[in-house]
Amino acid sequence: MSTKKITLLSSDREQFIVDEAVAIQSQTIKNLIEDTVPDEDGIPLPVVHSRILAKVTEYLTKHANYKPHNDAAKEELKNWDVKFLGKLDNNTLFDLILAANYLDIKGLLDLTCQAVADLMKGMSVEEVRKLFNIENDFTPEEEEAVRKENQWAFD
Amino acid sequence: MGATLSNLTENPNGAGAAAGPGLGDIPESCVACVFMNLTPPEICNLARLNRAFRGAASSDSVWEAKLPPNYQHLLSLLSPLERYEGLSKKAIFAVLSRSVPFDDEGNKVVWLDRVTGGVCMAVSAKAMVITGIDDRRYWSWVPTEESRFHVIAFLQQIWWFEVEGVVRFPFPAGVYTLLFRLHLGKFSRRLGRRVSNFEQTHGWEKKPVTFELSTSDGQQASCDYCLDDPDSDDGNTNHKRGCWIDYKVGEFVVSNSEPMTDVRFSMKQIDCTHSKGGLCVDAVYIIPRDLRKRR
Repeated sequence: MSTKKITLLSSDREQFIVDEAVAIQSQTIKNLIEDTVPDEDGIPLPVVHSRILAKVTEYLTKHANYKPHNDAAKEELKNWDVKFLGKLDNNTLFDLILAANYLDIKGLLDLTCQAVADLMKGMSVEEVRKLFNIENDFTPEEEEAVRKENQWAFD
Repeated sequence: MGATLSNLTENPNGAGAAAGPGLGDIPESCVACVFMNLTPPEICNLARLNRAFRGAASSDSVWEAKLPPNYQHLLSLLSPLERYEGLSKKAIFAVLSRSVPFDDEGNKVVWLDRVTGGVCMAVSAKAMVITGIDDRRYWSWVPTEESRFHVIAFLQQIWWFEVEGVVRFPFPAGVYTLLFRLHLGKFSRRLGRRVSNFEQTHGWEKKPVTFELSTSDGQQASCDYCLDDPDSDDGNTNHKRGCWIDYKVGEFVVSNSEPMTDVRFSMKQIDCTHSKGGLCVDAVYIIPRDLRKRR
């Protein structure tokens, strides 16, 4: 495994130095390494704040260094993921989804989206809106139309 | 969990940083990824949250994952097929989650379970071979709203009790459970109340009925059930009387939807030393095993 180091630069210009093998789990970073001449301070990731990039690199480091080869190892990695998620507040969770989407890290996107799905399970629309501060951008007529087009799932 | 959730509402400008994104700011493609982990009724409910959620709740990528792999084949059972061309994957799921007949008479139907997307099937007694069915001394057809086919076969009395049937269908890979839906006693509505009548119910406590299934690739299962409780014959304490009971015949495994699986099923009590009667036969159900566990 290559031990070449890559420097990533967060939106607030903080440097994160990681192994190349860690960094290129992000398809976006991999493309940036191949296609662009790096900034002398590192590869700029202008939409990812240092607070989030720290979490992203924590995740990538664990997953790069830990290739599960049997069920017990898979279980260990799964437990690590659960603990990793457990430490996040909701804001960080949403930021991580955006970062995983931008950086194109499928494993992290799946993990964080699963976490949000688990939070929403069994909740009414009103409860979800309240809990996650989601603005209702429908007119009453539109909302009624959405209700009608989805009614089949409850008949 | 409570603490992390309340962070969002109590502390929107957390730790001096600019206000973070809310769930409402997540792009549609990420909402679609969230929906991969939710069931169709949950998705249809959350479509009402905002425009991004509504968009994701209609996306083909989300619904393709909820449909069985051979949904095109299931769709081809519908006629006229042209009416369903160009439908979104979500609309296809909605169509297939209603009963879709796959024989000319509408006595064999399939549908997708709305929560799991699993393929379920019901076969009416009308589509089965029943010994003596044309002789009104033995059997009669009774219209009723209690059957999804709106009719059941009622047995007055007979010595040779034999009911069998077969289906041929491209079941998606999975493990399926086969059940007979039966009702001991005759039922009717009087003044809005459901009443059961056991005048003709007899003989089922003497010997068990043998239920069998077999598939075209050689799987077999069988079970014996006593349909009546020999120790109590009044309707109040006898739990085998006056209600619909699903008798599980067994399970079979489908490893591939092609070639199609033939499933044969039967129930028999052909011990001619005693007559039996007073039994309603509705249908055979074939449903994914996991679905039955969940119910």
